Amino acid sequence: MRDFDDTMVVSHFLRAGAVLSLLFIAAGVILLFVRNGGDGYTLSQITSYSYSQAHSIDSKNMPLSMILPGIFDLDGIYFIALGLWLLIFTSVSVVVVRLVWFSQQKDIKFVIMTLIVLFNLFFAMIVVPSII
Amino acid sequence: MLSLIFTLIKFLTIISAGIIAGFIGSLTGLGGGTILVPLLTLFYGVPVIFATGASLVSTIATSDGSASAYTREKIANVNLSISLEIATTAGAIVGSLVAIYIYAHSLSWIIYIVFGIVLLFSLIPTIRKIAFETPKFVPPDWTTKFFKLSGSYYDERLKKRIDYHGVRWYLGEVIMFFAGFFSGLLGIGSGALKVLGMDWALNLPMKVTTTTSNFMIGITAATSSSIYWYAGFIQPFIAASTAIGVLIGAYFGAKVLIKVTNKDIRWIFFSLLMFLGLDMIFTGFNKINIYIVNVDFQFFLAVGISIVLIFLLYVLMKKGYLGVEEK
Repeated sequence: MRDFDDTMVVSHFLRAGAVLSLLFIAAGVILLFVRNGGDGYTLSQITSYSYSQAHSIDSKNMPLSMILPGIFDLDGIYFIALGLWLLIFTSVSVVVVRLVWFSQQKDIKFVIMTLIVLFNLFFAMIVVPSII
Repeated sequence: MLSLIFTLIKFLTIISAGIIAGFIGSLTGLGGGTILVPLLTLFYGVPVIFATGASLVSTIATSDGSASAYTREKIANVNLSISLEIATTAGAIVGSLVAIYIYAHSLSWIIYIVFGIVLLFSLIPTIRKIAFETPKFVPPDWTTKFFKLSGSYYDERLKKRIDYHGVRWYLGEVIMFFAGFFSGLLGIGSGALKVLGMDWALNLPMKVTTTTSNFMIGITAATSSSIYWYAGFIQPFIAASTAIGVLIGAYFGAKVLIKVTNKDIRWIFFSLLMFLGLDMIFTGFNKINIYIVNVDFQFFLAVGISIVLIFLLYVLMKKGYLGVEEK
């Protein structure tokens, strides 16, 4: 078992990440309503369920490089996008925190295992998108 | 103006689906996604591709939210979760890639049927979880020491510290791969499968399996989410509304769970889950023009079967035929 402080670090990481991302997501939804849409689509297009309509606004058409300009533009879609990525990175950051612990304790076995998990995560984020 | 009001209502209806899913998911311990996907596809007409994408996102949100509470209680085993996450993340990658293949070839009926079957099987560990039995003693093997699978936690109910150790790590790893696979394929946390794996293969106490599984769900779902993102399975509006809804629902579900003393109430939700699972399977077959029953009758058949089966399970459990004792 880890000592108390270590567990608290993870705890705070997770809670803060979840809250922060939810704030961005909620702000994004409000902006969508206030500005009647976002990213060049009207609100009714964005809220459509039908595949043909919704397909053009799915995450494939929201490049990460557009998130920052979108935020400065007060674009609701990119606030939501940032919120969703914050959620993903919250989980990743916990693994990174653990990597630091294990390397401080010189626990080579667990450092290697944590590195494999991180490798899988980055494989999914960087390698897979380039082949699909 | 009128269209804005309609859109607002639409937004509130998806949020409410999220709240229902989060609430039931946290009461039954199945997690929001398993209920969200059938709700959105069967009753809201959301394409399954976006339902799974939205579900995956809300799965991370709930896992991160509740994992922080669990680590605070120090029941979840961090060492254990790291070594098992190797398999769950690898499984999640394979599962997401299979999902991409399935949607690219218009084979979404497979998703419906597999989802239904996984949902029905997920009920097994969930129902068993009612009985908080401690596992039978199995002597430690080489993996116990190598992967540091032992630990202890304080049990509030028994008012004592419980020491435990896991065995057969390799077997757990195999099951975790499949848990990750289904998580990536169906956009769910597949917490039930993770619990089943740790309970059956690693022989760990239920308290440790459920908390550790919750911890692992976030990282598994993060892996498949990023693939889902690039594949375009995440529709921002649907994902945003469900994530908010599921978190609200899960919050209240956890509050209610503490107050509910009569665990029998959960059987109502089990029958609802069984209905959703059956309805998903029927819908999947309908998509390839195999009509097990008339479409109009399908709903009632699914309701009927689930009521009968749940009643049977309940009676069997009360009489002790399932090998678990209700506490």
